[in-house]
Amino acid sequence: MTSAVLDRASTASAALVDSQTMTDELAERRRLFQEQALPFMDQLYGAAMRMTKNPADASDLVQETFVKAFAAFGQFEQGTNLKAWLYRILTNTFINVYRKKQRDPYQGSTDELEEWQLGNAESATSSSSRSAEAEAIDRMPASAVKDALQSIPEDFRLAVYFADVEGFSYQEIADIMKTPVGTVMSRLHRGRRLLRDLLADYARERGMTLKEPTTRSRSTT
Amino acid sequence: MTDCGCDKAKAELEEFLHNELSAEQCQDIRDHMANCDDCSTEHLVGLTLTTKVKEACQEKAPDELRAMILGTIERLDARA
Repeated sequence: MTSAVLDRASTASAALVDSQTMTDELAERRRLFQEQALPFMDQLYGAAMRMTKNPADASDLVQETFVKAFAAFGQFEQGTNLKAWLYRILTNTFINVYRKKQRDPYQGSTDELEEWQLGNAESATSSSSRSAEAEAIDRMPASAVKDALQSIPEDFRLAVYFADVEGFSYQEIADIMKTPVGTVMSRLHRGRRLLRDLLADYARERGMTLKEPTTRSRSTT
Repeated sequence: MTDCGCDKAKAELEEFLHNELSAEQCQDIRDHMANCDDCSTEHLVGLTLTTKVKEACQEKAPDELRAMILGTIERLDARA
């Protein structure tokens, strides 16, 4: 055999080994991805529902998020926070693709909303009426809570979702939303205040008593 | 026991709720709330709101979506 033939043969077998290694690596990457990333599907879908407000777009968004995440999974550093990493991809995808399609009257201006536009849940109410408020919120149907959440400005809604539903730290939310921690705190505070006002309105409309008690029963000791 | 007072407690209740304070700061707020109805009921509203929002937002991805994603990942793998 000529050396050229030998060279060709060894190149071919090296390529075979390479492709075998690559297949193994891909299989391993897929296995890890299925094991580690796919369990977050329900949570990501929940977030996508709050972002897009409808099941069809939410499904598309989650599908796209997983495709992007799988493609980039080789760059994910094992041992770091996978959930936060997936939420960053989800949020980026939402902002770049889906938000453009949606009409959000508040979009882009939420951080400039004035205090007076934001209701006043922290007015000087008594502690007894606050206990009643907590009780009313507790009895509220999930649909009312979701409706209220859907109706607040997107930046506020996402901050509330990330903190209260997902339990991300302020720093993690700042990374996901690409804003300073101070902005996260302000969005969270304002979002929760709006939510609280909306739920108080809902309770009042349904006759769930929330009003300041006029006659305070005192114990007769 | 170091009661931090209403102003500080009110300002920090949300961070307290979200576990953003140090152990020492948390203790100050707990100490204050133990003796202050105003702040403890305010905290109760905040806590209830968080629990309620969390409960209301639990979703399950549709089965078709799950199947579609699994299929897509298999295909991406085969093509790569």
